[in-house]
Amino acid sequence: MFAFLVKRILSGFLTIMLVSMIVYALFWYGPKSPALQLCVQETNGRCGPTSPRLADYEERLGYNNPVYEEYGKWVKGLVIDRTIMLGKTPYECPAPCLGLSFRDKTLVSEQLKDKFPVTVSLAVGAASLYLLIGVTVGALAARRRGTLADKLLVSSTLVFSSIPYYLVALLSFLLLTLNTSIFPDVAYTPLLDNPAKWASGLLLVWLVMGIFGATSYTRYSRGAMVESLSEDYVRTAKAKGLSARTVVVKHALRSALVPVVTIFGLDFAFLLSGTVFTEQIFDLEGIGKWGLDATYIQDLPVVQATSLVLAVAVVVANIVVDIIYSFLDPRVRLS
Amino acid sequence: MTLPAGDLEVHGETVARPPEAERKAIAGRSPTRIALDRLRKDPIAVVCFLIVVLFAAIAVFGGLIQDLLGVSTETVRATDVIHPVTRLPLEGPPTGTFDPDHPFGVAPGNGTDNLAVWIEGCRTSLYLATVAAVLSTIIGVTLGLIAGFMGGIVDSIISFATDLFLTFPFLVMALAISPILNDRFGDDTDKLRFASFYSLVAILVVFGWMGVARLVRGEVLSLREREFVKAARVIGVPTHRILIREMLPNLIAPIVISFSLGLPAFVAAEAGLSFLGIGVFGRESWGQTINAATTWWEDYPLYLLEPVLGIAILVVALNLLGDALRDAFDPKTRR
Repeated sequence: MFAFLVKRILSGFLTIMLVSMIVYALFWYGPKSPALQLCVQETNGRCGPTSPRLADYEERLGYNNPVYEEYGKWVKGLVIDRTIMLGKTPYECPAPCLGLSFRDKTLVSEQLKDKFPVTVSLAVGAASLYLLIGVTVGALAARRRGTLADKLLVSSTLVFSSIPYYLVALLSFLLLTLNTSIFPDVAYTPLLDNPAKWASGLLLVWLVMGIFGATSYTRYSRGAMVESLSEDYVRTAKAKGLSARTVVVKHALRSALVPVVTIFGLDFAFLLSGTVFTEQIFDLEGIGKWGLDATYIQDLPVVQATSLVLAVAVVVANIVVDIIYSFLDPRVRLS
Repeated sequence: MTLPAGDLEVHGETVARPPEAERKAIAGRSPTRIALDRLRKDPIAVVCFLIVVLFAAIAVFGGLIQDLLGVSTETVRATDVIHPVTRLPLEGPPTGTFDPDHPFGVAPGNGTDNLAVWIEGCRTSLYLATVAAVLSTIIGVTLGLIAGFMGGIVDSIISFATDLFLTFPFLVMALAISPILNDRFGDDTDKLRFASFYSLVAILVVFGWMGVARLVRGEVLSLREREFVKAARVIGVPTHRILIREMLPNLIAPIVISFSLGLPAFVAAEAGLSFLGIGVFGRESWGQTINAATTWWEDYPLYLLEPVLGIAILVVALNLLGDALRDAFDPKTRR
């Protein structure tokens, strides 16, 4: 178990390193001049691509040094405080330093602290809802396999999950909050400030993400349940005279959950990408909307941080899923 | 091989030829043939196929259809068709009745024809999705073939890359690349139009080949050990011929399935990115129309529903067709 954990975390770490290098290189080599946007903003537009001012800004931001040196400084900034020169003024950037937003010179890491809880609230609420709905409905459908209700459920989930997510989210926002105000107050309130308001404000979003996500989980868990209900050990359990409840929940469901958990891990990327749409449509100030707004005004440090944080979240989620795996399926030996 | 007419001679004895009907019954059919026959008997698949053909025809003959119906995307004098205060169209929906000059109505605000924009959006969607699906299938098949056939270190590297790309959410990459493109080509509209289209294709391809590669790799791993491949090796067939002539024909099913399931994913992704404002530039797109139409929702819902229905119908039809194809190719499914 321990060896597996170390190996898994090391490979996850390697992935994060690679991703951060790709993102860093992208923002180093991608733009014509990475400092141009900042320079234009600072000098009220008196900064052309060839002006000496721009060269000045590039020098101060370190773009004249070799890329590996600056990447090294950037990585070092994650653990040790550093100073960043934006224009003529030096800015303190305490660790973990992700740079300063070009727009308002605030610390990217500070902003991240405000935005992260919003996205996490959305993701966690939605994920628990769709796992709960999906697995329950899927297991029930598998027990009643072949009935009319089962067939209807399978074909309707197939159609519903084919519709792009953002269309569902957009239409439910327009119909349920704008037109009819069934859910009037979609807003984020920090959980610790007011738990009731936190839940009621995000309820619609959770429902939309949850029900949409549940459609595919219903199909996966139904398929897995159908398979595991026909296994020998389920028959053995029945023959031993265990109650139907124990057989279904303890024997069949537990092994049926394994493929569902795998897909959940892979889906985490979708969940996070989905929050970009969700936050944009429902106007919630999470990481997705923050990154999107930053792309409109080319606030490169913020976009860079967003890409990195989302990628890291996906890698971490995958490691967690691998660990959950070992608890669910006694056959999985981690070595 | 054709048999001579008349009775056959086997070991000196004359054997009567089986009657015509019996011989047909045992005629061999290729897996592709069987799959297509099963598909033809599937009513959902036929309906979806017709819908897809209709959309494809709209995309291919888009210019002709616009000429025939007398609509065009060219800008009109807004004062001719738009109310000066409400900015809503003077004729046709939402206030008036059906307007034969503009079957889908005109856009509020600038007064362009909705049908023409819709047709152009359909073209963009299908064109981009097809290019992306073809490229990602080619790359995925090539890498999967190489990884499965070569094994060893090559396989390890390709598999690691597959996992790496699977963990990185593609939307984040799209988010990161959009401001860079704007920075680089922002002052040249033609170049930006070109660059935004092909970089979107590139992003979709870079994050779209992994599924195919995994499937193909798995298939190749088992095909590699089969007798006909071993036989080909023994008689000295060069590797590239084994890959192309022996392996590839056996990989038709996974290739066709992942291509047909890739198309709807790419259509949805293109429209989604355009909806966020980070998609194609300088072309009409359903996503852009949706983005523009959300502000008009309460006065002019039809304006939003036209592109929404376009995307939903096309994506659902493509997805169901892909699912039907998968079932048709799978000998285990019973209908």
